[in-house]
Amino acid sequence: MSNNILAITVGAILVNNFVLSKILGICPFLGVSKKLETALGMSGAVIFVMTLSSLVMALIDKYVLSQTFMLAGTVIKLRFLEILIFIVVIAALVQVVEIILQKFSPPLYKALGIFLPLITTNCAVLGAAELNVKAGRGIIESTIFGTCSAIGFALALILFSSLRERLDLAKVPAPFQGTAIALITAGILAMVFMGFSGLV
Amino acid sequence: MMIIITAALFATVLGALLALVIGATARAFAVETDTRVETITEMLPGVNCGGCGYAGCADFAKAVVEGRTIPSQCPVSTSVHITRIAEYLGITAGEKEKVFAVIHCGGSCTVTVRSPYNGVGDCRSAALVAGGAKGCDFGCIGFASCARACPFDAIEMRDGLAVVHPELCVGCGKCVDTCPKNLITLAPAAVDVHVYCSSPEKGPVKLKVCKAACIACRKCVKAADSETQMTVNGFLVATNYSNPPLPDLVEKAACPTKALRLATKHAAGAYEGVSK
Amino acid sequence: MSDRPRKFKGGVHPEDSKALSASKPVQTAPLLAKYTVIVHQNIGAPPEIVVKKGDLVKKGQLLAKASGFVSVPLHAPTSGTVTAIEKNPGPACVSVPSIEITADGKDEWGSPFEPIADWQNTDPAVLKQRVVDAGIVGMGGAGFPSHVKLSPTKPVDTLILNGAECEPYLTADHRLMVEQTEDVLLGAAILARILGLKTAVIGVEANKPDAISKLNAFASNYNVMVKELRVNYPQGAEKQLIYALTGREVPIGGLPMDVGCVVQNVASAVAVVEAVIKGHPSIERITTVTGEPLVNPGNWRFRIGTPISKALELAGGVKVQPAKLLLGGPMMGFAQNSLDVTVMKNTSGILLIPVEQVSQYTAQPCIRCGRCVEACPMDILPATISQAVENERFDWAEQLNVAACIECGSCSYVCPSHRPLNQHFKRAKAEILAAKRKQQKK
Repeated sequence: MSNNILAITVGAILVNNFVLSKILGICPFLGVSKKLETALGMSGAVIFVMTLSSLVMALIDKYVLSQTFMLAGTVIKLRFLEILIFIVVIAALVQVVEIILQKFSPPLYKALGIFLPLITTNCAVLGAAELNVKAGRGIIESTIFGTCSAIGFALALILFSSLRERLDLAKVPAPFQGTAIALITAGILAMVFMGFSGLV
Repeated sequence: MMIIITAALFATVLGALLALVIGATARAFAVETDTRVETITEMLPGVNCGGCGYAGCADFAKAVVEGRTIPSQCPVSTSVHITRIAEYLGITAGEKEKVFAVIHCGGSCTVTVRSPYNGVGDCRSAALVAGGAKGCDFGCIGFASCARACPFDAIEMRDGLAVVHPELCVGCGKCVDTCPKNLITLAPAAVDVHVYCSSPEKGPVKLKVCKAACIACRKCVKAADSETQMTVNGFLVATNYSNPPLPDLVEKAACPTKALRLATKHAAGAYEGVSK
Repeated sequence: MSDRPRKFKGGVHPEDSKALSASKPVQTAPLLAKYTVIVHQNIGAPPEIVVKKGDLVKKGQLLAKASGFVSVPLHAPTSGTVTAIEKNPGPACVSVPSIEITADGKDEWGSPFEPIADWQNTDPAVLKQRVVDAGIVGMGGAGFPSHVKLSPTKPVDTLILNGAECEPYLTADHRLMVEQTEDVLLGAAILARILGLKTAVIGVEANKPDAISKLNAFASNYNVMVKELRVNYPQGAEKQLIYALTGREVPIGGLPMDVGCVVQNVASAVAVVEAVIKGHPSIERITTVTGEPLVNPGNWRFRIGTPISKALELAGGVKVQPAKLLLGGPMMGFAQNSLDVTVMKNTSGILLIPVEQVSQYTAQPCIRCGRCVEACPMDILPATISQAVENERFDWAEQLNVAACIECGSCSYVCPSHRPLNQHFKRAKAEILAAKRKQQKK
């Protein structure tokens, strides 16, 4: 069990990093990474959402979606509701995060702007849930997978935002200025993370 | 059929549960926002120049809503902007005198003595090295720090001298803080006659390094309609902005070094080259 | 204190070019007809002028009195009449108040001080007061009032004499140590007495073997230890000198007294001897007039107020047109735009640079090569700080400890992109100071 947990942790954070290996969740990765403070804020929000959503989704998956019901003589399997349910749960959680953030840190709320509700459509969050279902993980392991994926996302985001703050100071040639050099840097960062493959 | 009913039922129940959660959170963590601040921020020109004295348009909007300032404090806003904001809030618009920046130096490269300078091309940095490369200790260094600071592109560099275009300048004051020699003042937009020199040195000393220096010969003081229109401070003359002279003073006084100029004509390049 | 001086981190090795003047004995400049003495010759507050136009003064008479603790008095370099008190070009290329004295040719002393022969039994406080009254400042180039250093507010156990003279081209301190060896050592002993210490140590760079052997011959008579230092610029900088000789690191933002040390230049030590033993205030110094364009580079004893034009004349004038004239050394000296500037108490060198040694470069972007980081003796990051300054991010520059920069110029010297790093740091420090003042005013 503990080996499995370690494998999940290292796998999710380093080897199969959601942003840099799986290329999921690129929207906030590029959109929020201009400053370290916003990156940290977004990381916190994503960790919260992904942990809870993984947990809730794992529960729903085990007790509703995987079950076979017998009602009035018909066999009912609700597997087809998977994506709908997942999206609805994620949306609700993101809304809760938005409300709490607006109360406790208005400047961060303003700084994150549109990217906060965009966590709903962030494929990383949905991806974590789907991967859990596909791998058939238990409840606890699913939650851990969710948290660690989010930590991996946070790691990539924090590294990238620190790099971008430094890039800001440099004299980038005109054709590369702005998003271009950011994407090149992201590509190099992804190559760096390839070095972890084979670790788990 | 049963599948559809079960699915719909399940989705409804889940939806209701989540709605309860969201509703409870919203109730518990409710935030009071004054939407007026956002509306007024939209109504402002949105240049974020800081000319009002606040940290950006949103900050200014907040100050207006809280009653700490009046809409006309924004130098960029036209009367249309100001009346809209005033009407929205139901307050009086207020008056603010229109000002514009004047750079009190006429020392272009042709008229001043210069030393070769090879360093950072920025006025504030150059001022730390020998006070800048021009012979006059008090004059415009000419590396365009003020021009770069201007959010409205109102300052042009002509022959190594910074020149303000009065029609583009809104009087935000960003250039005033940037100039390391403190050459820039904000003068009433209605006044066109200014002295383009800031050196307090004696006349002959000034002339050695710049042909466009004010030598305090007092021709303009005497030619003015009243004694107090041009003030003398040591070896430097300046326009009295509370009792300014009329534009015809420049012709009447016939300043020998052309330090006395009309801001509009100076911006158009009418004073290139000096007769001495 | 270990025997082998340590190597401080970083530093550069420019060609020392001292051969031009290292073996030339010091010549005393003839009496001039006019001296224009710059009033503000020290770090700290300028002294208050006490003479007026038309006054007759004697050599060594008080011209301006100290205006506070961090200020020193100014004395007349010769006897004559005060003919003008007006502005004259200063070393920072801005006109500064100066006192012009027209010499009467008699050069009569009128110093207000009595010689103190028995300094060994004189109260240290009296000796220190003599240092104050004589207007002695750090003659290595800084110009910091010496008596302030001699009044440490923390316990001090080491007196260090700075004979490193790490700047290329300059040989003034070298000649002083060779020709006035015993004066240097006597100065060390007097300074040690003022601080309540029994011994002192003098550090000399290894490129001055004659000075080292002469000092070694007499050092034991004065309880001074002579230490040979590695040739590494900026070995003569206070913090680096302390580290090399004692292994102690002065904390960032701190002073030598924080680690129990006081550093004085050898020329300042000799000025102390002049003041205490002979009763003469500080009115002259040895300056190296050098550079390839000069006909006759050498070391001269100039009085304060000697115009640079006169100094160049004494050196035989120029044989080729130079590109730059610097006061000080090539690494930290200030370029001048007027030959009317006059010698001050801290003018260690007048340097002419030939055209082929001045590169008219255009600064390129930082290539992140890291040479400047290797060269920096204060362990900060010149590359990143200069990028921050270019983008006007002075908050970032402050976080990166630009305040620790000693402006030695090592980073600019090694930068392959010819970036004006030193100027960036001067700007950063000025902006940070201005922002702090604005903050305090609020």
